[in-house]
Amino acid sequence: MSDAFAYEWRRITTLRSTWWLSIGAVVLGVGLTFLVAMALRLSGAEMVAEAMSADDSLIVLEMLTTQFSNFDPMFYLVAYIVAIIGIFSWGHEYRHGMIRATLTAVPQRRAVWTAKYAVAAGWTATVVLVTCLLSFAVAALWLAGLGLDVDLPALAAAVVRRMGYTVLLTWVVMSLTVLVRNQTFALVVMYLWPMAIETVVKGIFTIPGLSEHRELTRFLPFNAGGRIMQREPSADAVFGDPLNAVGGLVVFGLFAAVLMVLALALFERRDA
Amino acid sequence: MAVIEARGLGKSYGGKPAVTDLSFDVRPGTVTGFLGPNGAGKSTTMRLMLGLDRGAGSTTFDGRPFDTIRQPMREVGALLEAKPFHPTRTARNHLRVLAAGHRIPDRRVDEVLGLVGLSEVARKKPSTFSMGMGQRLGLAAALLGDPHTLILDEPANGLDPQGIRWMRDLLKRLASEGRSVLVSSHLLSEMALMADELVVLGRGRLITHGPVAELTGRSAGNRVLVRTPQARELASLVGARLAGTGSVQATDDGEVSVTGLSAQEVGDLAFEHRIRVHGLTAQQASLEDVFLELTGGDEEFRARGAGHHEGGRA
Repeated sequence: MSDAFAYEWRRITTLRSTWWLSIGAVVLGVGLTFLVAMALRLSGAEMVAEAMSADDSLIVLEMLTTQFSNFDPMFYLVAYIVAIIGIFSWGHEYRHGMIRATLTAVPQRRAVWTAKYAVAAGWTATVVLVTCLLSFAVAALWLAGLGLDVDLPALAAAVVRRMGYTVLLTWVVMSLTVLVRNQTFALVVMYLWPMAIETVVKGIFTIPGLSEHRELTRFLPFNAGGRIMQREPSADAVFGDPLNAVGGLVVFGLFAAVLMVLALALFERRDA
Repeated sequence: MAVIEARGLGKSYGGKPAVTDLSFDVRPGTVTGFLGPNGAGKSTTMRLMLGLDRGAGSTTFDGRPFDTIRQPMREVGALLEAKPFHPTRTARNHLRVLAAGHRIPDRRVDEVLGLVGLSEVARKKPSTFSMGMGQRLGLAAALLGDPHTLILDEPANGLDPQGIRWMRDLLKRLASEGRSVLVSSHLLSEMALMADELVVLGRGRLITHGPVAELTGRSAGNRVLVRTPQARELASLVGARLAGTGSVQATDDGEVSVTGLSAQEVGDLAFEHRIRVHGLTAQQASLEDVFLELTGGDEEFRARGAGHHEGGRA
């Protein structure tokens, strides 16, 4: 197994796309935080901050640390950028015929599969962590002296939730890439599914006759995945409507797990 | 040194058999040529041997299936297709990726790049490489772990004449060191110069398997040509001697073509019967003769045109 990890680590780190996607995600995430934090400071945030409760302070700092992903329907942009690394980890194998070279170097398919998912998870989670830490630092600098209440454990938990969401998203799109062996398809689905398909499905459930079942749409996988991160005061039960963070993790996690198992089964059965 | 044992290999695509119950061995210290017409199943067989394609049968390398070998590039090197690399990763980094899974040091990467003549372009992207350079990089990958077994699918594709000669010498040298080398090629003249043994496929089935000398020795292309003013008389004598085990043909311009007897036997026969002989030539069958003889009618893709007519329209 360690051979497969060594192979995958060097494979991912010798691709320029890995670096520019990672650096791009960090720069974009931190840059966005920088601009908004600067705007807050320069627009007289002192007045606002003085009147802020601890909970409001946490909302502002979480928003700045996690690139505004704590409110529905904001997408966690960093996740949607770095997950492309996961798509490429399988997509390049099939697009450039590298899969045969890979499997003659490491013929144990399950080891190759495991290494790919683990390395991609580690890499994308690290990029999220770095982005959040730098964003927090930038926010802290701009908002220094405003008297905001900094709840570090709560902020750390928010960052961990983003890391978890990003890993699951990456695993989902990696699995889609294995299933169809086409990275362009996986890339399109990653954006189209949450932004268009689930929105259309939600729209359909507003039609009379279906509207009484509208609460079922909370189980749509990307909708559920978003609940891992989003703040929703009314989400007070795991599988309530809306789902709380744990419910979102269970639904999106199961969705990812099913796709991963299918991907493994096909990867082991198919010709390379 | 490794023996490759392929047993009962089989593979179908959409119900159409590509390889059927194929078994053969590759011995250490030999270059074994893998021959067959287009679509005969050579590439499929090589992929089956390495577990890349899923199908029937098994292949062992020193008694072990490929996918049970830890760090297999140290034991089996493979070149299966041209340009199997990411176009924007440098040639050196491509090899470093393969090396990483086997803890092979970077100095070995530089060594094999030098061996295949790619040192000067080591830090260039393979997307700029010609097909020949791509083949050299593929060969470098196959040699990376200094394996005792090599499986190479059409390695001469895209190489210039110097490159082909270099590759031939390299493979012969590697075999002479005791390694097992299985190499497919369409270049029969190259195979004739390089291969010690042959595995010949037709429509996914084994046609024959054995030493090159043995296969060419029993070809109908081996004949004795005699120039004599008494052609019909000699043909009649030879026919009586052969008694149906060979063939003899006489032409009006004084030439007799004999198969089934050696030049010495034909010469002695003419001398015994006081037949004047003006010329006696032993014609050795070429590998091409043998190949065409063995695979006649087994082409998967046959061009229409001279020599090939559809039934009833000839």
